[in-house]
Amino acid sequence: MTKGSQFCHERGRPFLEARALGKTYDVGGSTVHALREVDFTAAQGDFIVINGPSGSGKTTFLNLISAIDRPSHGEVRIQGVSTNDLNERQLATLRKEKIGLIFQTFNLIPVLSAAENVEYPLLLQRLPKSERMKRVQAMLDEVGLLDMAGRRPNELSGGQRQRVAVARALITRPKLVLADEPTANLDSETGGRVMELMQRLNEEHCVVFIVVTHDPAVTPYAQRKIRIHDGTLNEGADA
Amino acid sequence: MWWIPLRSLVRNRRRTALSIAIVALGTAISFFVYGFLEDSRLQIQASTVSEYGNLQIASPDLWEDTADGYEYLIEPETEAQVRTLLASHDGLTGITEQLQFPGLVAAGNETQVVRITAQVPENGTLTSDGFVIDGRPLQSTDVAAVLMGRSLAARLDVGVGDIVTLTLTTVDGAYNASPLQIVGIYGFSSEQVELRTLFMPLTFAQLLLNTAGVDRLIVNLSSIAATDREVVSIQQQLDQAGLALEARPWYDLSPIYQQLSGYFDILFGFLTLAVFILVFFIILQVLTLAFLERTREIGTIRALGTTQGEVFRQLIAESGWLAVLGSLTGILVGGLLGAGFNAIGIKWRPPGTVEASLLSVQITALTMLPPFLVGVAATLLSAVFPSIQTSRLRVVDALRVE
Repeated sequence: MTKGSQFCHERGRPFLEARALGKTYDVGGSTVHALREVDFTAAQGDFIVINGPSGSGKTTFLNLISAIDRPSHGEVRIQGVSTNDLNERQLATLRKEKIGLIFQTFNLIPVLSAAENVEYPLLLQRLPKSERMKRVQAMLDEVGLLDMAGRRPNELSGGQRQRVAVARALITRPKLVLADEPTANLDSETGGRVMELMQRLNEEHCVVFIVVTHDPAVTPYAQRKIRIHDGTLNEGADA
Repeated sequence: MWWIPLRSLVRNRRRTALSIAIVALGTAISFFVYGFLEDSRLQIQASTVSEYGNLQIASPDLWEDTADGYEYLIEPETEAQVRTLLASHDGLTGITEQLQFPGLVAAGNETQVVRITAQVPENGTLTSDGFVIDGRPLQSTDVAAVLMGRSLAARLDVGVGDIVTLTLTTVDGAYNASPLQIVGIYGFSSEQVELRTLFMPLTFAQLLLNTAGVDRLIVNLSSIAATDREVVSIQQQLDQAGLALEARPWYDLSPIYQQLSGYFDILFGFLTLAVFILVFFIILQVLTLAFLERTREIGTIRALGTTQGEVFRQLIAESGWLAVLGSLTGILVGGLLGAGFNAIGIKWRPPGTVEASLLSVQITALTMLPPFLVGVAATLLSAVFPSIQTSRLRVVDALRVE
């Protein structure tokens, strides 16, 4: 596995920092600590794989660093800006411009075709139609779905949907991609192609990948491995 | 991104069809009733103008009923001055004089209090000629002739060619009486008008009253819509000429028109409110459920970077499509219903009238617009609350919904 690349000159520069990050939930009058005082740093060009048992806090951690949830305490800084200081609109802009999300359950928009789902983030960025079409075609080609462009999600298999979700996350060339079980619904060959695509983007464009997975086939792509257990992070431990 | 809301509507065809049907039903009912009321209003307008002319010029004492005796009469010199002023107006299609006064008409043992309308026969502006149902209209050669309403003729048991006696008070306060020959019987939509109003030649009426004056000048215009403009213009001329006369439009002269018009407005107002409430609450329910089912999808697009405002606009745009499609369908359905109703040709005789009138629905752009706007407004307003609520969902909570 290639770790680092000649194309990425910004590698190693801090991109995301979490300081004393914590999340608590009030469940039936008692406080549940989903994440406890976590310190974490991701530098540009990092490819990080996170694993841990169910209920260990993986999804909570992803939600907080992707700015779709707010911490109970501590903070997340993305390129030096604390998400605590941003309002809802600014958080949406941050997600739109810098973060790509891959959901375990695909979360495709059912009324849009595969190509339109991939195009959606570009519509939010108000890119011209010609530019959108060019990028969508290239991205669908990349994930091997060019011939499925016009199909709706319900006309695609689980693996094809996941590839559309991956294409949608990568289409805006985000600086940070957070993926929740990106290969869970893919066969080993397709899973390998998706991981190779991620790796290429990581190497060529310094995209930070933080992947939550139980798939052992993903682990070899990792530059850093983190295990979450009971809401705490333990770097370097394998699942 | 305008097509995304449209796609969402197409996704759940049954719910979309239900929503469109609800909006369409409300709009169609509103359009049908409004078209019917407007047609009635137009019929009353035309009838009122045919009865009063587009505008009348008279002394304020006549309008306000503050005159002592016949002090309000317009003498021939003044009338000539007014006619000279009016000659400069292009939109005028006719001017005539009228003199109204009370009297008693008797035939055999029956006596009836009446109001005589003395007019210039064959004046071409405002006559009772069109209402004659038996005998003939008044002619310029007539002297002691009268045109009687059919209800009064029936009450007095007289007909064309019979003689009745008219008793009246002259402008000097003396009593006068004259035999009059019935030359024609007229019919009118109102039984009260038929019972109370007699028409006779102006020159003979002036002779009976012992005056050369008239109490009003009646002006007809090429269109009803020009009335207000001409009233203002004529009034300015009258004031500049120092004439103590006042021009009044037809709708001010007919208290019945004003009452009915107000009644129609209230009726349509209540109907609009009922339709609005009906559409508002049903669509509110439908949209709330529809948006609730899409919570996870909304969470996803928010996670991808769509702002609350953009989500709100998408949901409102979706409702906008529903509103426009539903209201257009309603206008189409209401128009078809109205056309069908008009084709049947139903007649109805309102209380207090003697002739049935044709019930119909006005199908014009002007009668389509208010119901269309009501349908659109009710749908859009009903979408505001669920759209705000849905767009403000916490992303992480929305994504958890299965």
